[in-house]
Amino acid sequence: MDEHDQTPDVVVKAEPAGRFRDEHRFLLLIIGTIFIAIIMVIVSLVMYNVSGSAQLDLSRPGYKSVSDKVDRSNEITDYSAFGPVNKDTVKEFTTLYDEQAKKAKAVDAFNGDPLNPEVLEFSDPLSSTE
Amino acid sequence: MNIRARLVVFGLVAALLLSTLGLKNASAADLTDEQMARISANCLTIKGSLNQLHASDALLRVNRGQIYESMGTKLMNNFNGRLGSNGLDNKGLTAVTESYQTALTTFRTNYQTYERQLSATIKLDCGKDPSGFHDAIEDARTKRAKVHTDVLRLHQYIDDYRSAINDFMLNFERVTGKN
Repeated sequence: MDEHDQTPDVVVKAEPAGRFRDEHRFLLLIIGTIFIAIIMVIVSLVMYNVSGSAQLDLSRPGYKSVSDKVDRSNEITDYSAFGPVNKDTVKEFTTLYDEQAKKAKAVDAFNGDPLNPEVLEFSDPLSSTE
Repeated sequence: MNIRARLVVFGLVAALLLSTLGLKNASAADLTDEQMARISANCLTIKGSLNQLHASDALLRVNRGQIYESMGTKLMNNFNGRLGSNGLDNKGLTAVTESYQTALTTFRTNYQTYERQLSATIKLDCGKDPSGFHDAIEDARTKRAKVHTDVLRLHQYIDDYRSAINDFMLNFERVTGKN
């Protein structure tokens, strides 16, 4: 007796849900697509920040003054990983290497102390004169 | 026994709290009232300087980074590969290259840490919290010094690789009879 009472209830509850899905299939597709797109954008932004790409992206706001100063002329020629090894090929490599080493060491990057309170002009004048 | 254990725990927590407060006061004590006033008054000027440094350091990171990356991938790795494919002893050069790559990874990580600290410092309200701002600048300063140390280490490995090439050449000429 109880089973007969419960069965129609289940059918009645299931039908509107199925009907709703059928009637709004296109809307659900759009909502689903937007949801997936939002998730993917969030994931890509997290990756962009975590991987360190953000720090190398000079097109970000605040970097406009320097974005055109990126050195694009310094293209290093690839030294082929295949081929014979003799005095001439090693000399060819050392010439290429010395040239690049000179460029790499030409700038003592991140030297100095620009974050020193005295440089930023908020040091205590009494302590700095002592 | 139970009470004694509770007392020990209480004592440890109290000691931890006191040391934390002590450290905070110590860093705040480094700053005189006059300095705090100067930070608040020159807040915009200091932030302007930090913004300029932020941009110029980013440019430096991009330009220097390109050269350091290329030296490793286009020159060192390829030369080691050529020696290896010809069955020649490249252990010395490979060891230096590995150290160079490790130093390059450290440089990347330390720059990232420094850049995040500097960005966070710029976002702070130096007018309201000059002490916190000062501490944040000191932290960024330490992190920037680490990046400079990484750069010097990279330069050292570049020199070491050159010396390793000389050693290889001496050995190569000895084995091949100055060919």
